[in-house]
Amino acid sequence: MTLFAVTRLELRRLFVRPLGWTIGALALAELGWRFALLLQLFLLNQVKLAALPDGPGYTDLVAVRLYSSLITGSPLPFGVTELALLVVPLLTMSSLASERSTGTLPLLFSTGLSASRILLGKYLAVLIWLSLWLLLAIALPMSLAHGVTLDWGKLAAATLGTFLTLAVLGAVGVACSAFASHPAIAAVAALMIGIALNCINLGAQLAGVNSGFINWLAMSTHQESLLRGLVSSADIVWFLLAMAVALALGTQRLAADRERG
Amino acid sequence: MNAPNSALAPVLKLEGITRSRAGRPAVRDLSLSLEAGQILGLLGVNGAGKSTTLSLIAGALTPDSGTIRLQGQDFLEHPELARQAIGWLPEAAPLWPELTIREHLQAHGRLRGLVGTRLKDACDSILERLELRDLSRRLAGVLSQGQRQRLGLACALLHRPALLVLDEPANALDPVQVVALRKLLRELAAEGTAVILSTHQLTEVTAVCDRVAILHEGVLRHDAPLPADQHAALEKTFFDIAVHGRAQAA
Repeated sequence: MTLFAVTRLELRRLFVRPLGWTIGALALAELGWRFALLLQLFLLNQVKLAALPDGPGYTDLVAVRLYSSLITGSPLPFGVTELALLVVPLLTMSSLASERSTGTLPLLFSTGLSASRILLGKYLAVLIWLSLWLLLAIALPMSLAHGVTLDWGKLAAATLGTFLTLAVLGAVGVACSAFASHPAIAAVAALMIGIALNCINLGAQLAGVNSGFINWLAMSTHQESLLRGLVSSADIVWFLLAMAVALALGTQRLAADRERG
Repeated sequence: MNAPNSALAPVLKLEGITRSRAGRPAVRDLSLSLEAGQILGLLGVNGAGKSTTLSLIAGALTPDSGTIRLQGQDFLEHPELARQAIGWLPEAAPLWPELTIREHLQAHGRLRGLVGTRLKDACDSILERLELRDLSRRLAGVLSQGQRQRLGLACALLHRPALLVLDEPANALDPVQVVALRKLLRELAAEGTAVILSTHQLTEVTAVCDRVAILHEGVLRHDAPLPADQHAALEKTFFDIAVHGRAQAA
């Protein structure tokens, strides 16, 4: 299928560009540092925590906290989610904006592929790259799995939440790249939208409001539930909806590009 | 192509094609057809509508009105026809700078539906034919203009299309490469490939084309066979149309 030909082409471009490797490696190094700090904190408090009935364990204090600062409550280095706010826009900025600036976009159109298939092909490639990155991040807490007791259910829910967050940020990034004429503009737009999606309810949270539309709108609300191990279809639908909206807007822009010529 | 009438139909048939760009008509009521093995030279001054016409034929643009038939089938109803039947080299040969020459060919091949050994054989064959084998591991971003142009041509030819659409293919080629390009186009025509060649160079048209069409302000003003040794006559026709805006009978 030519959709997968687009995916393969985009994956190749992602893997041969030094930017992809550099940001991937730097982000993993930073996550390694965060993991070491979380582990150190866990070991320091292990005796106290062991005395608590139903006290948090390795999964809560190390594995899940590696994913996000949302429930860390301490000034540790960035988790996967916070890093993704920076990494994903850098990764996706060139996916369509550079095709436009190098003039290769009409070549893709001339293969008879629809705008939606081109965009989906590109998105799949980004999703594969992000999944590999997430797998490497999970490998850090999993490396101690033989010596600790992992709450597999909670870890799976948290991983799902983080994957869905990456998927939404990826969709936003690809859509921004479809709209922008230059990769840098796409990166800045995706960064701003990502931050806004994550923090739109910050004011409400500071005022002690934990419900309502503004909290529903925020991605952090839905991710936090999953990080706590609560898998709700409403949260998953929110992620799927956000992805669909971003990809539909990107497709519309690409189709308009083709129409305009 | 497996249409029942594809063997008898012209490779390309445009009927009443109109297309506006940036609010003004770029191509108006354009009709022409092209048989297998023909080389059509498309001439016109800057802004005459040549590139728009080629983009329409290549499937990168859709017309506002009119029909495009490719081997007898409606191209607008079946845009996937372009995948197998058309090879397109746009002006300035757009490339992905981070990919090597071979990776370009592989990507284009996959986008055109080639896989496995067919893809590998097609890549090897075109690398050989366009003398790019020694450069196959070089990144497109570091190629010279002439090498870029040859790679663009290789990508357009990879899947052995029935129709080859070339926009200024001799740009940036040295005289030796220009002669090689002319030879290649004649060989392709002899093999049955129909070629549309857009250029500013009248000498290119007289050297290789057997038919010439002249566009002026989006309108086809001249479409006629080009007998041998007719450079002077073509030059006169072209300048009459381009400079004086006089319509010429075909």
